[in-house]
Amino acid sequence: MISFSRIGIMAEMHGRDLTRRHGALALLVALPLSFYLASMGSSDYAVSAAGTGMAFAVSGATLFSILSSHEVDQRLVLGGYRPLELLLGRVMFLAPLGLVIAGGFALLMSLVSHPDRPWVLFLGLAVVALQSVPFGLAVGAALPQELEGTLVLIGVIGVQLAVSTRSNVAKALPFYGPRRLIESSLTPDGPILGPLVQTAVYGLALLVIARVFVAQRVAVERHQPSLTGAAEEV
Amino acid sequence: MSGPSPLVVSKVCKRYGRTTILEDVDLCVRAGEVVALTGENGAGKSTLMRICAGLTRADAGRVTLEGRIGYCPQAPGLFQLLTADDHLVMFGRGVGMSRAESIARGHAILEEFDFPLHERTVTRDLSGGTRQKLNLGLALLTDPSVLLLDEPYQGFDRGTYVNFWDHCDRWRAQGKAVVVVTHMLAELERVDRVVELPAHPSRTHGVLR
Repeated sequence: MISFSRIGIMAEMHGRDLTRRHGALALLVALPLSFYLASMGSSDYAVSAAGTGMAFAVSGATLFSILSSHEVDQRLVLGGYRPLELLLGRVMFLAPLGLVIAGGFALLMSLVSHPDRPWVLFLGLAVVALQSVPFGLAVGAALPQELEGTLVLIGVIGVQLAVSTRSNVAKALPFYGPRRLIESSLTPDGPILGPLVQTAVYGLALLVIARVFVAQRVAVERHQPSLTGAAEEV
Repeated sequence: MSGPSPLVVSKVCKRYGRTTILEDVDLCVRAGEVVALTGENGAGKSTLMRICAGLTRADAGRVTLEGRIGYCPQAPGLFQLLTADDHLVMFGRGVGMSRAESIARGHAILEEFDFPLHERTVTRDLSGGTRQKLNLGLALLTDPSVLLLDEPYQGFDRGTYVNFWDHCDRWRAQGKAVVVVTHMLAELERVDRVVELPAHPSRTHGVLR
């Protein structure tokens, strides 16, 4: 049975771990900001670019949270945790953190870039942050080597930024829904519900992938007692 | 010597690719017994410990285990930026211990190994030996009845090292079944039994002394 207390402890410990990484915390904010500032010449593109920067930052933090605890995770499962609790503990800390960053950036960009619908911009950035967590978890769980995981993360988000939302390739990528939402914020009547549903389905699929791979990676075989109780030997 | 055997390994085999690591290994550890597991590098000592702990699946054979297990891996798997107390709380919660209970019990264990409890240092900044003390402390936190210790004294200073073997005597008196992977032949007189894993499993099986 899943224990909320164990999930809460895992969230707390991941929080403690990340908040002691001052450089990483600074980069979590600096990365989307630099994407935004570097694209300021084109107001519309700058908003999308900031979203991409946030996807890099939050999914990168998530990826390293799972890769850095590779050895501890299996020991925690041996000590009574369930693999799903380890995953949900990360989600419980990283998702709210991502939402805080998204809120800050939505405010900044609303003031500077003047989107037609600021609330949709906040929604789009919030969805980027939320989608980044299962994406980072899935990549980290499926590719437990740091270099491979990082390259896949860079590749997927980079391609998402590089191709137009009208391209078929873009539609197959995890940040298609969030990007459409961000673009919708720049128009008075862009779609909202469709991208939201699409993101939710993709996010759930990514969580399932992460769950399957993590369960496989940290599996612990529970040895049973001898059928006759503790074995007697002379 | 007689009595219940909380840990019984029967005909365990393990291969990695074409390399046979363990072949038909048998091991039986009784309650109140300290067994030293020795063998050359690559003989499969750590693999056998991982199989006993359930962290690695054997290709064949069977392990039966009675009671709670405490596993101390060779390399301390710790969060680099968490303190000792953070680890105690996290590991204690796995078996339903409260925060206060985990810290109180953990401190009592760590104090016995002269862990610097007054410092709230993250594990990355601890010395190798001090990290290893925490690693061992985490294995003992939940009062296990079977202890699997894979070279647990690495990096210990002389005093703590001697203290470790004194603790083995105490664990024996408490009725725990203890397996210690060791290369320290000078200390083998302090254990009840030595099990040597052969370097080439196809040549001989586990030899009991």
